Amino acid sequence: MDLNDLNDSELLRSMLAGDEDALALLYRRRQGSIYRFALQMSGSKTIAEDVTQEVFLFLMREGHMFDPARGSVSAFLLGVARNHVLRRLRVEQLLAPLGDDSEDEAASLHASTDLCPLEDLTRAETIEAVRKAVLSLPSKYREVVVLCELQDISYGETAEILGCAIGTVRSRLHRARALLLAKLRPAAEAEETDSATVKSARCFA
Amino acid sequence: MNSQRDEEVLTRGLRALADEMETLGAPDELETTLLKAFRARQVVTPIRRRQLNSRYWIVAVAAMLLIAITVVVFRWNNDIVDTPRQAVKQTEPQKTRENNNQRSDELRNDVQYQAGNPLPQRLKPRRSRASSLRRPENQMANHVTNEIATDFIPLSYLNAASLQDGGQIIRVELPRSALANFGLPVNMERYNEKVKADVLLGVDGLAHAIRFVQ
Repeated sequence: MDLNDLNDSELLRSMLAGDEDALALLYRRRQGSIYRFALQMSGSKTIAEDVTQEVFLFLMREGHMFDPARGSVSAFLLGVARNHVLRRLRVEQLLAPLGDDSEDEAASLHASTDLCPLEDLTRAETIEAVRKAVLSLPSKYREVVVLCELQDISYGETAEILGCAIGTVRSRLHRARALLLAKLRPAAEAEETDSATVKSARCFA
Repeated sequence: MNSQRDEEVLTRGLRALADEMETLGAPDELETTLLKAFRARQVVTPIRRRQLNSRYWIVAVAAMLLIAITVVVFRWNNDIVDTPRQAVKQTEPQKTRENNNQRSDELRNDVQYQAGNPLPQRLKPRRSRASSLRRPENQMANHVTNEIATDFIPLSYLNAASLQDGGQIIRVELPRSALANFGLPVNMERYNEKVKADVLLGVDGLAHAIRFVQ
């Protein structure tokens, strides 16, 4: 039987039975979302890599703890990742600042876009402002924004990952968006002023 | 209107951030490291289990040895304590013989006299978990389970309130005529024989009550 036909639960079962290929496939399927979640929560590539590794080591060690009745493997892994990220953040007190690595990474991504340089710059500034605003949120709001808005995970699955009610997810997301708006409003106003200046400059050119 | 526009801007910003990070993932080396760890774990697991099993056996044997040593020491201590008790038992009849020579109407004085002396060790209730849970009344009533006894007859000239702090029971032998002093019937055919009695001593060392035992 081809491993690609198996779902995550079956792959996990095969992995626990000692199938290395099952682990490799499960890793390739799920590492991206875990890595991105950790990166968006911490703003640090190092933490994101460490957390991804810890999550899969945990899966090897304690994979039998997964209960299909309580949710998907993806939710289980993100729940474990969340615990590791929060622990790391508590230890390192690393909440808001963006590291140089993430800035370099952002710059490398911008280079590949098809927009003209000015629009590209504006977009990059917007993304950077949003990223900083997300990272500056309290962790309980940040995790909801990361899961629901950035990872595009449903409210129900987010509630499973966080171990809370869907209503709590909704209310936290509402509050988180309000906080983000409050943080981004001055930047947006400044952006509008800049764009007006550019327009007038173009007119006079 | 403004707030709606702000919401749209925020949603667009979040979407842009999500799109930009969509392709990000852990480095390839991480997969290699994890697979290595997985292989190593597959090899190591049985050995570790065997070590754990042997540890359990060592702990179990140590626990059994500890229990055995505890039992031996406990019994040995009990033997040491019982030896002087047996010695006291052998001397006790001499005391009761002295009491037999006294007149029945001097019973109360005899009891007080004995209470003033140091108590023989064997008459002290043996300490055990079960006996410590019993109430003093039950201890008195069940002092000797295979004997028939009268109720305790108070010695009216003493204050029974002092018994609240505890007391001790002393077994004595009295002339049968002593029964009559407490209003009990006396079998005249066995008039010369002795009758056993338990005397209840208070913490003040005085006799507070007596009961006759058959």
